[in-house]
Amino acid sequence: MAAPKAGSAARAQWMARAGGLGRLVLGLAIAALVWEGSVLLFGIRPHYLPKLSTILQAIATTPKPYVDGFLRTLAETLIGFVAGGAFGIAMGIVFFRVRALREMVFPIFIVSQTIPVIAFGALVVLWFGNTLLAKAVIAFYLTFFPVAVNTLLGLESVDRQQVALMRSFGASRWQLLARLQFPTALPHIFVALRLASSLSLVGAIVGEWFGDTTGLGVLLLQAMYNENVVSIWATLLVSALLGTGFYAVVAAAERRLVFWGAEQ
Amino acid sequence: MRAISKTFGGTTALSGLELSVAPGEFVTVVGPSGCGKSTLFNIVAGLEEPDAGGILRFEGQSCHAAELLGRVSFMPQRDLLLPWRNVVDNAILALEVEGAPRKEARARALRMLPEFGLAGFETQYPHQLSGGMRQRVALMRTFLFERDLMLLDEPFGALDALTRAMMQRWLLDVWQKYRRTILFITHDVDEAIFLGDRVLVMTARPGAVKLEQAIDLPRPRRPDVVTSPEFIRLKRTLLETIEEESMKSFRSAEAPKVSQ
Repeated sequence: MAAPKAGSAARAQWMARAGGLGRLVLGLAIAALVWEGSVLLFGIRPHYLPKLSTILQAIATTPKPYVDGFLRTLAETLIGFVAGGAFGIAMGIVFFRVRALREMVFPIFIVSQTIPVIAFGALVVLWFGNTLLAKAVIAFYLTFFPVAVNTLLGLESVDRQQVALMRSFGASRWQLLARLQFPTALPHIFVALRLASSLSLVGAIVGEWFGDTTGLGVLLLQAMYNENVVSIWATLLVSALLGTGFYAVVAAAERRLVFWGAEQ
Repeated sequence: MRAISKTFGGTTALSGLELSVAPGEFVTVVGPSGCGKSTLFNIVAGLEEPDAGGILRFEGQSCHAAELLGRVSFMPQRDLLLPWRNVVDNAILALEVEGAPRKEARARALRMLPEFGLAGFETQYPHQLSGGMRQRVALMRTFLFERDLMLLDEPFGALDALTRAMMQRWLLDVWQKYRRTILFITHDVDEAIFLGDRVLVMTARPGAVKLEQAIDLPRPRRPDVVTSPEFIRLKRTLLETIEEESMKSFRSAEAPKVSQ
């Protein structure tokens, strides 16, 4: 039996990741070139698609609204995501443990999710006003349900023989949950969290449309009313950056925590 | 532990089964598939209650199956290692459930690693190990959970023949060193004779003990014991009994189709 070569394996993994990052940057650069080139080449009117360089210039000359909007929307998204994630996981566990509660409350959850987010948003603004909290609540509303469903699904996917083994060790219900059921559910939970990371951003931006002074949603709305095409595109790019960055962070956390992959 | 005997009624897996295992003894159980071996084990592990009227005695006292939870170290067919735990942390799972401090438990497991052929692999994760090694981790988990009775349910069933023979010899070494009481399920007659002090042959469903055969082959047993005349004689007796039972269960499985 050969001794494990952890060092070289880790290096190979690092190299693979660095190579992947290099290709990603290359891909982005090509996309940017195609954008810039085709606008020039086909003479697309700036009303439909401005040049990428014009958009980046617009951000560079007046960065403040974009930076402020980015931070504000990020805060709303994060609060909604964390609260929704935590609540979703907690509800998943409660539904798993208390069947009666699941039968009582779960249908209400489903009904709540059939309400269009716009209708719900109007109500939230009535309750919380034009506060940061209101947007976070909308982000929360879009987030908690998929997390709760997948947590429940993950907890129920636990191997019955594994449960039997733990019980034969004399494990209590709490030990079963902490040592077996919750870790087994983690991969499922992360699938939902990745989905929730984009949903919470949607929630925050939609929330801002109901009225506010800062935020990416506000910028979008203002640009639309002023027919400022460059500003629309600039805000779009910043939103994409926020969404992608957030998703990447969640995915990275998943890789770290669920390192064993989809084994079993 | 002195005696376990239990009786069941009805059409369930076991009926009127009686067996006892003496301290330090290595008892193997063979039987046709579907004879309720696993049901028997689940009862002894405390996972299932026998029907009313069954008598269960553990260490001279009668008890309920549920009271056996946490008192018998149980190893199921599959290794059931937790993929997020490395070798050491998988091995100490039962100790942790018992409430032993992690540090102490880890130190104990580390000392045991070489004997289980796992030295140097303590920080590996299950998906990095071969089938034989995973099985040894599972066995180590069972050994670390020090109980008077060890229940092994076809622990080598999924291994290839060579690894399996190696694991059998190794298990005998470890058993001789620790002198645990072992109840071992298998469907492999060679394995049952090679390992056991006594072989129990179960009847077709509903399961009961059909034959109890003492194995007085000298210990320590060497691999070539399987070709000795004594071994062959024992094997013939056992195979005949099993054959008879297999035919029975085969016929009873066929019967409903015939009547259609």
